[in-house]
Amino acid sequence: MKTIKTLIALACAASFTANAEVRINGFANLVAGMTSSDDSLYGYDDKISFSEESLFAIQISGDVNDKVTATGQLVARGSDDYDPDFEWAYLTYQATDNLSISAGRLRLPLFRYSSSLDVGYSYHWVAPPESVYDVAFNNLDGIRLDYSNYAGDWEYNIQLAAGTYENENDVFVIEGKDVLAATVEATYEYFKVRAVIGRSKSTFSVFQLEPVFAQLEQVLPPGLFGNLQSDNDTGQFIGLGLEVDKFDWFISGEITSVDTPDTYIKEDIAYYVTAGMRVGKFTPSITYQVKESDDDPKFVDQISQLPVALQAQLYGVQSLFDDDETTITLGLRYDYDTNIALKADVTKLEDDLNEANDATLVRFAVNYVF
Amino acid sequence: MLAKHFVLSLALTFFSVSSFADVVVIVHPSNSATLSAKNVQRIFLGKEKKFPDGKETIPVNQISDAAPRGTFDSNVLGRSTTQVSAYWSKLVFTGKGIPPKEVDNDSAMIEIVANNPNAIGYIDSSAVNSSVKVIPVN
Repeated sequence: MKTIKTLIALACAASFTANAEVRINGFANLVAGMTSSDDSLYGYDDKISFSEESLFAIQISGDVNDKVTATGQLVARGSDDYDPDFEWAYLTYQATDNLSISAGRLRLPLFRYSSSLDVGYSYHWVAPPESVYDVAFNNLDGIRLDYSNYAGDWEYNIQLAAGTYENENDVFVIEGKDVLAATVEATYEYFKVRAVIGRSKSTFSVFQLEPVFAQLEQVLPPGLFGNLQSDNDTGQFIGLGLEVDKFDWFISGEITSVDTPDTYIKEDIAYYVTAGMRVGKFTPSITYQVKESDDDPKFVDQISQLPVALQAQLYGVQSLFDDDETTITLGLRYDYDTNIALKADVTKLEDDLNEANDATLVRFAVNYVF
Repeated sequence: MLAKHFVLSLALTFFSVSSFADVVVIVHPSNSATLSAKNVQRIFLGKEKKFPDGKETIPVNQISDAAPRGTFDSNVLGRSTTQVSAYWSKLVFTGKGIPPKEVDNDSAMIEIVANNPNAIGYIDSSAVNSSVKVIPVN
């Protein structure tokens, strides 16, 4: 609420200056999907749904003065009953032609497509590969520095971000403090490489697990309980991305590791490789994704001294978020117009830990920008 | 069969572009800048904001339906017009850039460039007149 007021105030302030310009842009994704019978994937089931990934967004930005721009993005997500929410609201200070500083609520630069995650029109997929992109939080309350320049024919961009994040839904709540992230991206003609490293002190709580942890606190040695519980523990995020885009065809991939050593959750490694061709208005593509957690249980030395039944329970808790899945997606994008894209894809997921999670999903999408 | 058809239509598109359209980059007559193709590309993608002499650049595009736009996008920017708009949608919605203003046709482009020392645009070579200066792009 407070951000909305600030934003309105900023917009008004902007509109009173002589050369003020308020820009309104928007984008929309209408996505319909359904799985094969009795399956579920990414929130879809075997009855067609239009709301899981559909969204409408309006962005308002205005020049406060020559150097400062205010930007707000109001997003209404189908998964949230199209209840609009200011997901971004920030001020950008253009310090030089190469350096800008933004402060407020903004996108955390974790992935190659982080910044345009919601703008379906900006990529060839119906949705960016979930195995990699499905993280518990995407937005940062804080500050971000963007620096871009050239070194010969190399073009590079450095982003530094610092702040806090918070995300709550029906299943969990996550809070991060002391977030620091650094990203370097370098482009040489058709080749692009990107690296990111980030860390934060995070606290992650799954509502259904709260009674379990309350009970464990009673029976476990405090040291082990502290190790298992997620409470202000340092987590690390590392990512690497590569891309070759020769216009007629492209191939790219990203690999990420998410690890918070002092919690019950194991390290997760995820990657995808995607390749496609541009044939006139059509972009057929194939994407292969893998998400896998570390096989070995944590804190074995401490746990092995406990009663066997308790050991089993602790290893059980540790494996709740285990992943071992591969996904293949065949997709097609059709550029209907310079601001409208139509897409369709088929996704097949295989879960090596639990066959019951295997699923096939078909999606259709319309992406619009204005 | 379908693929063959696309390849054919694509080939025809390229053919028509190279044989009929000759698009030239224009600036205000007072502008003495010499630019490489790379400079022009960077200016129109919002990556370079100044001419070599330090003067601010104001790139101006033609609308996506105008013939010179497609030629310019594929020859100079090396992308289709759709890809260029996808590129800009990324920048716009991340607060990192504002796409160039668009004009309807060659004559509107000439008018804007002739009246603005910072402007840079492009038109079909047949539309050039003395109110603007064509700059060679190497």
